[in-house]
Parts: sequence; structure tokens; C-alpha cells
Amino acid sequence: MQIQILPGALALFIAVGGLAAGAQPQSAALNTFEEGSVSREEGLASWQVFYEVASHPRCANCHVGDDNLPMWSGASFGAPRRHGMNIDAGVSRIGAETLPCSTCHIAVKTFDPAINATPHMPPKTALAWQLAPVEMEWFGKSSAEICAQVQEPARTGGRDVRAVAEHLAEDVAHGGFIQWAWAPGGGREPAPHSLQEAMDALMKWQAAGTPCP
Amino acid sequence: MKRITVNGKVHTVDADPAMPLLWVLRDELGITGTKYGCGIAQCGACTVHVDGVAVRSCQLPLGAVEGEVTTIEGLGTPEAPHPVQAAWIEHQVAQCGYCQSGQIMQAASLLDTHPDPSDDEIDRAMSGNLCRCGTYVRIRAAVRAAAGKLQEASS
Amino acid sequence: MSRLGTIARRSFLIGSTAILGGVAFGYYWYRQPGENPLLAGLGEGEAALTPYVLIDQDGVTLITPRADKGQGAYSIQAALIAEELDVDLARVRVDPGVPSATYYNTALSGESVPFRSTDHGFSAELTRGVADGVMKLMGLQLTGGSSTVPDQYKKLRIAGAVARETLKKAASEETGIAVGDLTTGDGAVILPDGKRLSYEQLASRAAKTDPVLRVHLRPPSEWRYIGKAMQRIDIAAKSTGTQIYGIDLAIEGMVHATVKRNPRQNAGMNGYDASEAEAMAGVRRIVPVSGGVGIVADNSWIAFQAADKIRFEWAEADYPPEMSEHWQSLSDSFSEAHQDSRMLDNGDLEAALSGEVLEAEYRAPYLAHAPLEPMNAIVRVTDERVDVWTGTQIPRFVQENVAKTTGHAAKDVHVHVQMMGGSFGHRLEDDYVRQTAEIALALKGTPVKMTYSREEDFAHDYVRQIAMGRMRGAVKDGGVDAYDLSIAMPSIITSQMGRQGLSLPGPDATIYAAAWDQPYLIPNYRMTAYRAKPLAPISSWRSVGASTNAFFHEGFLNELIRAAGADPLEERLRLIGHEPSRKTLEAVGEMASWGGELAPGKGRGVAFSLSFGVPTAEIVEVTDTGKGIRIDKVWVAAEVGKVLDPVNFENLVQGGVVFGLGHAMNCEITYSDGAAEQTNYHAYEGMRLYQCPQIFVRGLENGEKVRGIGEPPVPPAAPALADAIFAATGTRLREMPFNKFVDFV
Repeated sequence: MQIQILPGALALFIAVGGLAAGAQPQSAALNTFEEGSVSREEGLASWQVFYEVASHPRCANCHVGDDNLPMWSGASFGAPRRHGMNIDAGVSRIGAETLPCSTCHIAVKTFDPAINATPHMPPKTALAWQLAPVEMEWFGKSSAEICAQVQEPARTGGRDVRAVAEHLAEDVAHGGFIQWAWAPGGGREPAPHSLQEAMDALMKWQAAGTPCP
Repeated sequence: MKRITVNGKVHTVDADPAMPLLWVLRDELGITGTKYGCGIAQCGACTVHVDGVAVRSCQLPLGAVEGEVTTIEGLGTPEAPHPVQAAWIEHQVAQCGYCQSGQIMQAASLLDTHPDPSDDEIDRAMSGNLCRCGTYVRIRAAVRAAAGKLQEASS
Repeated sequence: MSRLGTIARRSFLIGSTAILGGVAFGYYWYRQPGENPLLAGLGEGEAALTPYVLIDQDGVTLITPRADKGQGAYSIQAALIAEELDVDLARVRVDPGVPSATYYNTALSGESVPFRSTDHGFSAELTRGVADGVMKLMGLQLTGGSSTVPDQYKKLRIAGAVARETLKKAASEETGIAVGDLTTGDGAVILPDGKRLSYEQLASRAAKTDPVLRVHLRPPSEWRYIGKAMQRIDIAAKSTGTQIYGIDLAIEGMVHATVKRNPRQNAGMNGYDASEAEAMAGVRRIVPVSGGVGIVADNSWIAFQAADKIRFEWAEADYPPEMSEHWQSLSDSFSEAHQDSRMLDNGDLEAALSGEVLEAEYRAPYLAHAPLEPMNAIVRVTDERVDVWTGTQIPRFVQENVAKTTGHAAKDVHVHVQMMGGSFGHRLEDDYVRQTAEIALALKGTPVKMTYSREEDFAHDYVRQIAMGRMRGAVKDGGVDAYDLSIAMPSIITSQMGRQGLSLPGPDATIYAAAWDQPYLIPNYRMTAYRAKPLAPISSWRSVGASTNAFFHEGFLNELIRAAGADPLEERLRLIGHEPSRKTLEAVGEMASWGGELAPGKGRGVAFSLSFGVPTAEIVEVTDTGKGIRIDKVWVAAEVGKVLDPVNFENLVQGGVVFGLGHAMNCEITYSDGAAEQTNYHAYEGMRLYQCPQIFVRGLENGEKVRGIGEPPVPPAAPALADAIFAATGTRLREMPFNKFVDFV
């Protein structure tokens, strides 16, 4: 069975590879796999695909712990460091306490990769910029740690694996951070694989019984 | 065509919706108190208020402007300065002064939500505003003085 | 106009060397050094009493020819004139005037000669006089080197007094009342009966009056402005967004533009394809300029966007493309063939270093000036004349260079100096003005406002010199016994003056600045300067040679002192041989209560530097928080002869400390493939507010001369911080930026 996500024309297609010239936009679909149809080895390989996405700086920099301090890391930066300018997103995780993330990470009406074309500009999406909930801390975590976390609905915002996969597509539908992660612009390295591959990886991992390394 | 309200006055702007508010203010409307320093939200010199909240105008596309824009000129004037501006004058914060429009707008926004900010809160809210002359000691003092003034005025 | 001609021939400018005779009576004579440039533009009824005071029917205008890049130069210059002229600072206009050789800078030349600034012996003063003559010949109306106050301190007060006495004479002629019975106050001559004749009323007559050439300067006890807290004349405008900087100026009919050049400094362009940019809405014109193109558009933002759509073929740079080669070049320069000078060689180094020797190598990176207002200019070219509106420290060079660009005579190029949003030395260059002139020449008749993007500003900042220090030293009997300091860097003077087509013979003073002339009586003490071959083009960066050399000199001196088991402050006091310098060290020690017990995790470091004639001592206190180093407090004592405005003085010292610490902690410019890798402030933060310590400042007034304070607080900051970090953590930092080795919180 295939569920086509139809969130509106703009969100239907997402860009892969930072919208390099000639890159083909790709639709994101939720492909399901029979339980037991995927081997443990295949499941672990699928998890590895998702882990590579989750641990990539485009995602992990804002999936930080309870110090609420976003990070700057990855190919666009030198050694991983705390987000410059003494940024502290606070317990609110949106900076409400002193300096809202949206002071610089403006929320635009519709996500368009062109708005992030300038290098080192604060990324902008159609959602208000924020850190992921603290229970989804990924930065600096091992594959096993993140795997255990995604297995547990209490630490995924009450979502089972399928709901997590759907959540990825839903974010894209809102022109949010996940869409941005694969089309960051400004010379930033996009998250690896693609939204489709990440969703497929989650679904296969689930079909394999969510094995962890 | 886009209608925006700046310092209480309605302007009709014929420009690319992607054009940042900063450049609309400076080059289209001739309102130059808001400064260009970096274009990538690293210096804070372009800080304005939208509905009273500090925003880096170099990041805000014209098409996304919703709400009333206030610039440093709209906050107060040399004859009738806003309490934050008065504190900046009293403490003689400025050297080159180029960053100070943004510093003042950020401080006014902070004091709006934190009438009596702690040192730590000042350090968090004000560290996105770069001052190359290094007037930070006086900025801190002026923020505290302005907080006192605003509290006096409201009590 | 006949009388004006008389004034022109007699117009007076007083350099300190011109003060001859009569001093015991408190009177001064003058000589005439140049034309009064105000006379050419005078209208009927206007009087230009000196090159610094212009009075017309609308009021008094004070001419403040040293540029204001944020240091308060307009305010302090106006105050110096007003002190003698008796005008209310709040009610005068201030104008930077026009480029003119009359406004040449005598103090700057005084610091460029190889005598210790503490040396007032006959040959030192004579040589300064010669350098002064060279400066006058070149007509360097230049702002820099912390020279504004030393240069203008007496000139402007005399100018104010001359204007005042001439106005009194005019009033005497008008009323028949003897000059001795007249007084002045608040912009008017006051008659014995209390009646006031305003300066404006007297302007016409004063213009026909022979200027009074003997004036009496008021004693400090009568000063109203100098030495007292003043409100800077620009402070209200700068707090309300109403100060107009060059980048804010609008000229009727102007178009907007930007420039995109080869990111490799001073390298050429082999070709470009602008078809995509030309097709963009709002793009008007693409104009080739030296080393790149100018993009003319409806607004600055469109110009920036279009610049990124042009494809270029760039030429290679004439310097090594990668940093490793730059460092290697410095390393290879410690040889006889590269020796530029050895200004200091006391005692017997070889004997003193025959036993146990400490050795070290220090490094200081390239740095950008990066003032917050990017480089910009407005130029309008017509057949008859060129007008230039820009923030610059070198209006005379701008005038000459724009004239060469457009083919006009220099006298037809009119430079209107604008308020500057910082400089730190960047506006000692004028490439951005020449490029604007190239665009404006192609759009004859239309004013062109050119603004650099921040990225272009970083790419084409002429950076602070890269430098390397090699040291050897020895300790004896618990103190420093031998110090052999060698410094290698490319020549700043050759690079910077070379871009103006000038060359200065002899050793480069910036290579040995603040390294050979420190007032320590170390028994065996040597300093050798090595001139590396030119690398990336470099320029004067706030405190120039001292910015690297004080880090080297004081950094290793601290190592020697600690190796001797001595106290960094006490040992300096033991070694120092210059009384005003000793007092700064004693003062800073007293301010910081030096020597007391510190809480665990804390460390203190001290450094001293005599630069630009100003002995400056700083103590830095840090805490090792476990997550990184936090700078808690800094104490500064500086000897400037006279603190002209205590508020602005404190602000400038605090800013200088922040500048010195911020760059030492966080900043470097590195080249890869010939281009600067740091393209904007995300990679070049300097110091931000949360990292700023408390800074306590004391100005001392024991020195012989009045000195400027813009630069001297910068050099001691880095070595004091390095020693504080050593005290707190045991980590010795010998290379900037320090954040490559320790974290800061």
C-alpha cells in the first residue's frame, strides 16, 4: 500500500541534495512493509540509514540535551562548538526566556530554498525555529542510544515508529525543519540519503522488529 | 505592492517580496537609522521591532512582514528619547555608534519582557549584537539604568 | 577680497616646533605653514579667522580635520577650540573641513622616527623635526597612530585664542573701546556695560581685521571643558538613529552599486560572464573596475544579489595561496639576509646565554579590521568636477587618487569626509573610493553610491601583519638576566605606502615597535627585527606593530619572570627604568590589590607596554570554570599626560581592552587558495557582550606630553590574558587566537 501525502502543491515535492542545478525533486511516500518480511540484518542496515540522518549536523545540532544549548557542527564549521552569540534556547526550547530563536530564524510563509541561499545565514523555514524536545536528545549520542530512544514512544512524543515516519512527512508538509535539512542551501551539507529513504528505513526497521545495534 | 506600517506611518512599497525589510527601510524608504552590518544576523545592527518584538530586519523578507514595524527613529527622538535611549545618552555608550541602533532596539525589547533583568539575562539577550568598538561595559550599565528608569515610571 | 588675501598670506597654523620666544610671558608667535583653505570658499560677510574657525551670519563652525571614526575626535577637537574661543559646544557646528596640506599631522611623524618616545634629547627632537618636515611636504592629513590629541592639543587652542583676540580687536575697532576693556563669553564679545556683540555680528569686520598674532593661552585652572566630563557632541544623534554616516547619505539622483573583485587580494580578473546578472530586474549596469566589476542597480540588495550571479575567471594571487607557506616564509626570515634592524643590544648576550637558556617561538595571525560600517563611498563625476562623499582617514590621498582615476586635476576633486562607523585602520585604504570613481566615471553625471557587502569587506580588508617571535633568555639570582628577542614580519610600511606609490627608506619602525624601546633595564637585552618578504598585503591595524610585538615581548618576559620564581609585577618594577612607566605599574597593582590570595581556579596575569608614547599596564583576572576560561576583571592604568575628557577616555580604554582581548581569544584571518577563509562575523566574532569582563580604568597625568589613547590599551591585553590563563591552568599560550588551545565561556 502507498499513501501519497498531499499537503499542497508546494510541499508535495521536496528537494534532494540541496537543490543543486538539475536535481530532481522527489515525492515522499509512506511505504509499508509486511512485518517479518525484513531480516534482522536488513533491519539493522535500515537503522544505520536512519541513524546517519539523525546524527547528521543538520538534525543533531538542534536535538540537544537539557542544557538547551544549540550546537554548530559539521562541514560548514570547524570543531563542534556551541552556537555562537551565547545562544540559550531556555527550557522553552524556543528562546522565549531571553532571545527567541525567531529573532534571527524568521518564520516565513512558505518554505522556499532560495531564502536560505546565502552562506552562514540563519536557516529559515515556515515553522517557528526551535529545539527538538529534550527527550529526543541526539547530539553526540551513539547509534544504540538513539535507537533505544526511537523505540520508546514516551521519548518520541507518543509516536510509534510509523507515526515517527509520518511525522517526518508531516513536517515537510508544513515547510518545516525536516524539509530544510535536505535542502539547507547556503553551501550547508544536506542531511544524507533522502526523506524517502529515511522513511523507508524507519518502516523497514519496524518490520524487522526494531533491532538495535 | 505591499503596504507596511513603519513608525506609525503606512507606506506602499513596490519591491520584490524577497527583499529584506532592512533594505526596504534604507534604500526604498530612506529610513537609515537601521544599519547594515553583516546581512546574515551575526551583528544585530539591523534590529527593529515588529509589534514590539526585536527582529533582525536583514532576515525578514518584505513579503513576510506582518505587524507594525518600529525603527530606532520611531522609538524616540533626540528631543524626546525613549528611556533606553536616555540611558544610552547619559552613560555616553556610543563610540562609532554604528551598532547602537540595534543594541538599543534589542535592549528595549528585553526590558519590555524583563523589567528587571539579571546579569545573566542581559548577557543572553544582548550577545547577538556585536560592537566592534567594545562598548559592552557601558551597554550593560545603560541597560540596568534604563530598567531602573522604566520601573520608576511604571510604579 | 583684498584683506582676505592678506589673511591668506598670513594665515597661521602653529606646530609645537613653531613656538619660539616669549614663552615665559605666556605669548606665542607663529609662522605660516600653508594656505588657509577656508578662504577659497568664503562668501561675503564670512570670516575664516584661522584654518580652524569659520564664522558666518549663521554661527560659528569649528573645523576638526582629524576624522571621527568613533573615537570622539570631532568632540575633542571642538572642545579644544571652544576652550579659548568662548563658545558653547552645544551651539557650534563642527565640520571636518576639506583636504588640505595645512592640516598636516605633526604628531604622527614624531612617532615614526627611531628614538624612544621617552627620549627628549637634542638629536631626538631634531630628527623629529626633520620627519615633521617630510610629513609637511607630503601634506599627510591623516588620522591614525593615536595622534589626534598630541597633534591638535596646542594647535587648536591657539587657533581658538587667535580667533577670540581677533574678534575682540574687531569689536574694539567697531566701538572704539580698548581691547583691554573687552571680554568674551558664550559666543560674543562683551563690552564694559554688559552689552554683547555676537561673533556673527562681528564676522564681517573681523574678516577685514589683521589677525592678532600674539595670544595668551588660558591656564588649566580656567578651563571649562578640558579635563572635565563632557557630553560628546554626537552622543544624542548616535543614540537615536539620527547620526548620518557615509553609508546613510543620499545625494539627489543617485544610483546604488556594489563591487565584486577577485577574492585573492589585488589579483586581476581574466574574464567574466554577467549575462544572468544583467537579466535580473533592477540591475542597471555592469561596469568593469580594477580587479573585478561594479554592479549598478536600483538598490543595494539587488546589487548584492546580482554580484553573486556573475561568473568570473580570476587570476592567481602574487602571494602564497596557503597559510603553511606564509608561516614558512616567516620562519625562513630569521637570517642575516633578512635583518632589518637591531635597535637594542645591551650587555653581553652570548655570555649571558651560555648557561641554561629558555627558548620559545610565538605567533600572531592575520586579522581583519572589520569595522561594522562596511566600506562605502558616493562619487559624482562631471566634466568640471568630482565630488566624493566618504568616510576616510586619508582625504588627501583620496583626492589625489580619485583625480588620477577620473583624469581631473586634484583641485577639482572635492572630498566631503563623512562620519565613520569604525575603522581600526581600514579607512587608511582608499581602494573602495577609487572603484566607486571608476563606476561613476562610466555613469558621468549620476552620483553612484557604492556599498561593499560584508563578504566583500572581509575579502578585501588589508589585514594586520602576520608575525613570528623567537626568544631566548636566562634568569639569575631570582630575576631576569638576559632577553634576546627576534621578530619577523613583512613590512607594513612597504605594503601600505606601496599602494600609495610611496616608499620610505630605512628600517621599518613597525617591525621593532614596542619591542626595542621598552623601559626595562635588563642587563643583557637585545632586539633584532627581520623583514620577511611581502606576503598577503597588510595594513595598519589598531596599534600596528605593537599589536603583535607586545604579545611577543611581554609574553616571553612573563615566562622568564615565572622561571626566575619572581612576581610578574614586582620583577617589572625592579627592572623598570622610566618613572612614568613605574607609576603605571604601581597604579595598576594598587587598583587590583595585586599580591593577595585568589580563590581556587582563578589566575591573574600582568603585562605592560609603552606604545605611542603611552605607558600602559594591565592586569587580567580569569577563572577556569571547568567548561572554559572566563575573563572576570581587567584593571588598566595608562599615562597620557593629560586626560582631556575622563568619560571618553574611560570608554576608549575599555574598548581598546575589549579589542585586544577579543581578537586574542577568537580571531584570525587565514588564506586558502589565496582568499580569506573568514567571510563574515560568524567566523570572526571578536568579543561579544557575554565574554566582556569588568574593566577598571585609571588615567595618569605624570608624563611630559599629552598623548592619545586610541591604541595603547590594545597591546598589553593579549599577553596579560595569556599569563592569567597560565596562572589559572598551567597552560602557556604562545599563539593567537587562544581559542585554538583553550575554550572560553
